[in-house]
Amino acid sequence: MKWIPNFNSSNSLRVIFVIAVFILLFLSSIAYRHNQDLNDSSKVVMHTYEINIQLERLMSAIKDAETGQRGYIITRNARFLTPYIYSRDKVNKSFINLKKLTADNPKQQQNLKNLFKLIIQRFNSFEYCLKYSDPKTYDKRKLDNYMFSGRILMDNIRFKVDEMNDIEQTYLKNRLKIYDDEISLSPLFSILLFLVALSFILLAYRQISRDIERLKIFNKKLLISNGLISESEIIGKFSTWQWDLDSNKIDYSDNQYRLLGYEPHSFVPEQETFLNFVHPDDKDIVASSMEGILNNKILPFVYYKILLPTKEIRYFKSTGKLLTDQQGSKILLGINFDITDEHLLNIELQDRYRELEKSNKELASFNHVASHDLQEPLRKIQTFISRVSDADKDIMSDSAKNYIIKIEASAKRMRVLIDDLLLFSRTNTTKKEFIKTALTELLSNAEAELAEVISEKEAVITAGKLPKLEVIPYQIEQLFINLIGNSLKYSQPDNIPKITIESEKIDSSDYPEILDQSIKKFHKITFTDNGMGFDPQFKETIFVLFQRLHSKTDYPGTGIGLAICKKITENHKGYITADSIPGKGSVFTVFLPE
Amino acid sequence: MQKNALYILLADDDEDDRLFFKDAFEEIKIQTNVDFVHDGMQLMDHLNNPDNKLPDILFLDLNMPKKTGKECLVEIKKTDRLKDIIIAIYSTSSSEEDIEDTFIQGANIYIKKPSDFNTLKKIINEVVTVNWHYHTSGLNRDNFLLRLK
Repeated sequence: MKWIPNFNSSNSLRVIFVIAVFILLFLSSIAYRHNQDLNDSSKVVMHTYEINIQLERLMSAIKDAETGQRGYIITRNARFLTPYIYSRDKVNKSFINLKKLTADNPKQQQNLKNLFKLIIQRFNSFEYCLKYSDPKTYDKRKLDNYMFSGRILMDNIRFKVDEMNDIEQTYLKNRLKIYDDEISLSPLFSILLFLVALSFILLAYRQISRDIERLKIFNKKLLISNGLISESEIIGKFSTWQWDLDSNKIDYSDNQYRLLGYEPHSFVPEQETFLNFVHPDDKDIVASSMEGILNNKILPFVYYKILLPTKEIRYFKSTGKLLTDQQGSKILLGINFDITDEHLLNIELQDRYRELEKSNKELASFNHVASHDLQEPLRKIQTFISRVSDADKDIMSDSAKNYIIKIEASAKRMRVLIDDLLLFSRTNTTKKEFIKTALTELLSNAEAELAEVISEKEAVITAGKLPKLEVIPYQIEQLFINLIGNSLKYSQPDNIPKITIESEKIDSSDYPEILDQSIKKFHKITFTDNGMGFDPQFKETIFVLFQRLHSKTDYPGTGIGLAICKKITENHKGYITADSIPGKGSVFTVFLPE
Repeated sequence: MQKNALYILLADDDEDDRLFFKDAFEEIKIQTNVDFVHDGMQLMDHLNNPDNKLPDILFLDLNMPKKTGKECLVEIKKTDRLKDIIIAIYSTSSSEEDIEDTFIQGANIYIKKPSDFNTLKKIINEVVTVNWHYHTSGLNRDNFLLRLK
């Protein structure tokens, strides 16, 4: 279904977002570890420095003891011995600290133990030095020895402390190196990754804002088309409704409420709501058609009546279709048309049609009257007159004889009138069978029919090539008879009548005032004579029924002949025109569609 | 009643027409016996009575009371004993519809009642002297309606 605009970008947007989020998560985990390592390494550094400081304190305590002892030996002042006395405590304290600090390192513990031994030896040598420097127990050689060995021990202690410091330094170096190795990402790469994530997010942002733009445009269009639809529903007097079969929710268009005689959204439609509006007569039809739509998926037009709250009856026509949208949910779409106006018009037309049919029947019965009931008495009058024999006439008075002649003439004229009238009405009412016929053939039939008059008047009829057309043969023959007969009748007494019949194919656009322009080509057949002609001001009226230009006594006739001609051409969707120059002749032109 | 004469039956409700018909037969010099019936019912009763001789030619008016000429025509053509009677439709009407209908239903000829007594005589003469056997075999729509030359 096309009616839901497709926003494909949403999927790629999701991908971009997920990638960006993963990159950021990765970066932040790296940063976290980095931080952690930094913390660890600073602890290691601290540890190393602490050990270093403690070792230095140890050294300085020993040095203090040494300096104090020297001062005492030189001055023999007991005050110099105070640092020496305290140094032992200081050494012990430092030592305990060191033991704690190196608890995780057996090698340093070993070193510490060795260092401790050296320090004890050093303190022992201090004791000996004090002892042999005392004037009471003075021994120069032993003092020198112990002083010297104290010097060596001191060097060893220094050496040991340096060694321990070195170990710690190396350890520190190694640890730092390990951390450096672990944080494999260079800051440049991190920044690059960050930039990638950032650009992804920017891309997503651009896509989103683009989608929003598109949505805005679609929204605007939707609003416009919604407005248009609801306007056209009002103008076209139709409405729509949707029934979502899954959620069983029914939506009426605004105009549906109006057609039912309510303000839009003045009630909530339910499945049964619509049926309540249907006229009781038609409830079954509508109910069954609603069921039908579910089974057949499509609803043929159903016609029914609606009863408005005002008790007014409206005529409805409805159709519908079962739709399945992209999500697979089924929606029943229905359209209702308010056809009340058309319906009423139809009823009126039907009434008119019935009236027409009735009057047509009356006309037909008039025809019957004319053909039977009027003819019968007339025929008898004529027959009775014909029974008045010449012998009878001999004994009649002259005036009586004259009356008989007048009765005969009048009866004859009445017969011609009835016959022509019948012919005219039959031109209209008898069935019209169109047969492809050569008009030349029909013309020669017509000439044969008129043979007597033609030879009597010595008329010359020349005909060009005539087309083959789909016509009602006997009618066209009648047309030819009437037109030629007319020319012969109104010929000039001194001239030999000449009638020329010609045909040509023409475009209807050449005669825009006469011809129906929806038919492209016509055959134009002209009948030109050299008769007495007529005043051109009568060129329209001569085709009207019973219109005569001459008195009955001069030219007998009923005024029906040319009316029949007009009727015949009309039966063929054709036209007939006449023109004349009085005293020169007339031209009758027949247009027949190809 | 002459033995070898043609037996003619006219079914017509119009008294004047029956009179013209009778006079015309009297004036033409052909030996005929002419009988008349006044309506369709009487015609069918007459024909269906086995005691009555069947006519050689039946002149049948179409517009008759009680039973129309067309109804009689259909009935006659349905009855085995009657279906070979030569039937000349003799009507005031010359409507295409009547001519077409009676032709289809098997009438032999269609005569439009003339408005001149002499023409009537000519017509009767023509119809009575026609070799019906020959005429019927060549019957078609064009020569069904009798036209005097």
